[in-house]
Amino acid sequence: MVWNQNASLIRPQNLYLVVCISFVFSVSSAFPDLSDKFCTFKVTFRNFRLILSWELKNYSVVPDRYTFQYTAIRPNQVKIVEHCSNTTASSCDLTDVWEVLPETYTFRVDGFRGNTTLVQCSSNLFLVTHMSLEPPEFDIVGFTDHINVLVKFPPVIPKILGGGVLEFYLSLIIEEQSGNIVKKHNPKLNETITGNFTYVIDKLLPNTNYCVSVYFNPRNLGEVHRSPVKCILLQPGQETESSESAKIGGIITMFVIAAVIVITIIILKRVGYICLKNHFPKVLNFYNFSTWVFPEMPPLETVAFVEVIHVNRKKKVWDYNYDDESDSNDDTAAPQTNAGGYTMHGLVGRLLGPASASSATPEDCMEPDSEEPDPSEPDTDIDTEPLVPSGPSPGQSEGTSGAYECRGKQLQDPITEEDSWSTGGSGDKITFNVNLSSVFMRVLDDDSEVPPGLPSFPEETYNLQESHSLETSLLAASGERTQPLFPTPSAECQWPEDVLSDESDSSKSDVDIGDGYIMR
Amino acid sequence: MTSRCILQTTLLLYFSTMALAMSNDLLRSQLSSSSLECQELLLQLNGTTEYCLKDRINFEIPEEIEKSRQFQKEDIILITHEMFQKIFDIFRRNISRTGWNETTVENLLVKLHWQKEHLEIILEDVKEKENFTWDNRTLLHLKKYYLRIVQYLKAKEYSICAWTIVQAEICRNFFFLNILTDYLQN
Repeated sequence: MVWNQNASLIRPQNLYLVVCISFVFSVSSAFPDLSDKFCTFKVTFRNFRLILSWELKNYSVVPDRYTFQYTAIRPNQVKIVEHCSNTTASSCDLTDVWEVLPETYTFRVDGFRGNTTLVQCSSNLFLVTHMSLEPPEFDIVGFTDHINVLVKFPPVIPKILGGGVLEFYLSLIIEEQSGNIVKKHNPKLNETITGNFTYVIDKLLPNTNYCVSVYFNPRNLGEVHRSPVKCILLQPGQETESSESAKIGGIITMFVIAAVIVITIIILKRVGYICLKNHFPKVLNFYNFSTWVFPEMPPLETVAFVEVIHVNRKKKVWDYNYDDESDSNDDTAAPQTNAGGYTMHGLVGRLLGPASASSATPEDCMEPDSEEPDPSEPDTDIDTEPLVPSGPSPGQSEGTSGAYECRGKQLQDPITEEDSWSTGGSGDKITFNVNLSSVFMRVLDDDSEVPPGLPSFPEETYNLQESHSLETSLLAASGERTQPLFPTPSAECQWPEDVLSDESDSSKSDVDIGDGYIMR
Repeated sequence: MTSRCILQTTLLLYFSTMALAMSNDLLRSQLSSSSLECQELLLQLNGTTEYCLKDRINFEIPEEIEKSRQFQKEDIILITHEMFQKIFDIFRRNISRTGWNETTVENLLVKLHWQKEHLEIILEDVKEKENFTWDNRTLLHLKKYYLRIVQYLKAKEYSICAWTIVQAEICRNFFFLNILTDYLQN
């Protein structure tokens, strides 16, 4: 194709120029092979005007006039732009000349000085990606709580932005800045926009300085060109009304938000999407944290050494003698402690032997009346009774105690002296309660009548009336070890031989079965 | 029991609508990003039209695409899928005479292929779930349009000027693709 034959001339005056140029290049169906290394082209969209500008690169001789011509990639004639022919400006306004935005344009600029062509620059570009969007002109008017931004639009939108292109291609951004807070507003544009476009930035604070700038956000992710910032100080408003209304509005808003959140949670819980149960593992249960960190000290236990031994007692028979010799049971033995640190309390009863222990039952022990007299002391009626040690030690649970009453002397315990003894008595009758689940019962050996370290108690008299109160519940309350621990007044109540131990060495404070103690 | 079912159904519809709206926005932004990236890669390929004016041709892109007519969401997905598919097929052809950077062309093909596959998955879901009447007329026009481009390349024997003209035409395709994906937001 010989372009000079198809070239359309804007004015007859340019015919000769075009013919001359085209004649030179008639052999070629394309533009001359002059490269654009002499010029730099730039296309800008400024104030809704499409401007193509060029700049010569280090060219010593500057042309005094230029001529611009172009063609599109789709079949079209090469056109010379009339108002850009023989122009002294190094730019050309192509608004309404280039009418299609998504198009590749090929163009050429010829520079002349006199009748001499000094330079020819040509290039091609895809307009959408090469057009630089400069920000529009705008003004701002400040009020008490809002700013009017007046963006200057042309009375007629250029054809290049027609056909829905304006909405897609031009994305207007209005930036509002106050201090370090920047807000962006994106008003919608359409082809019906004519004249100036006013956008209102509302909900602003009175008596505050705001700065505004505008720019087009390019769809091709190109460079953003922001406008110069314009700042304004808003007028101070009526603070009472605005502040009160703002406060009321804020409070109402918070209530609404809280109500919405609560309702949402309730609905979700009812529906079953959430479950508000606490299934924390036990290790995360810190309710007893203080107890966990500072565990309670184990209650002080007073381990009382108890020996149940048979005591042959004389049945007191009043012989109408008013001597004080027989009144020997008022003596209270001082508390004695053996080498093991145990403190004996009360009277101890000693078992006769192992043979009768297996068949012994608590009931037998409870019947002092059926006792057989001790042949070693024919003068006395053998009354033995299971004796119990001290009263309840501190910390021991009384709920598990198999309380029973026993008559006997009570020894003073230096440790538990201040404790509340559930004892009662009058005269020679002493009643005290013992938590059998917290005491250790030791079974004495057969060899010794009195365990070493134990005081030898004098024969004492006691009131037989209360001896029946020894209950079998003692053994029941003690738990699984149901060996009869309490001696029986009868010979049948014998401890098993393997249980008995003559080791009175209670230095072993740790109780084990091997020492003869039976732990309850 | 009935009230509970109604409440659950209401909540399901509400959140489904939200998810659908979010998926539309996601698809739109993803399509827009893909077409912009492909356009940038295409422009990196060297080509000057000033020496190829004699090879210019009007391929006559379908008017409904050029005029940016508003389509339904399903039609948009179908049309964009067809465009990515055909552009991918074109640039797989013989480019040996262009002197283009092969790495750039390969990157372009990878992006086109990925976007095509992604749209196919969405299309399958649309075909299964909805009883939708497709805009076959627009699709037919598109097929004919891309057939003209391929026939042109064959006729010009895949010359550099032919590829330059096609390169410029495909740039326009991506511009219209961006406009179409914008309709997904609406």
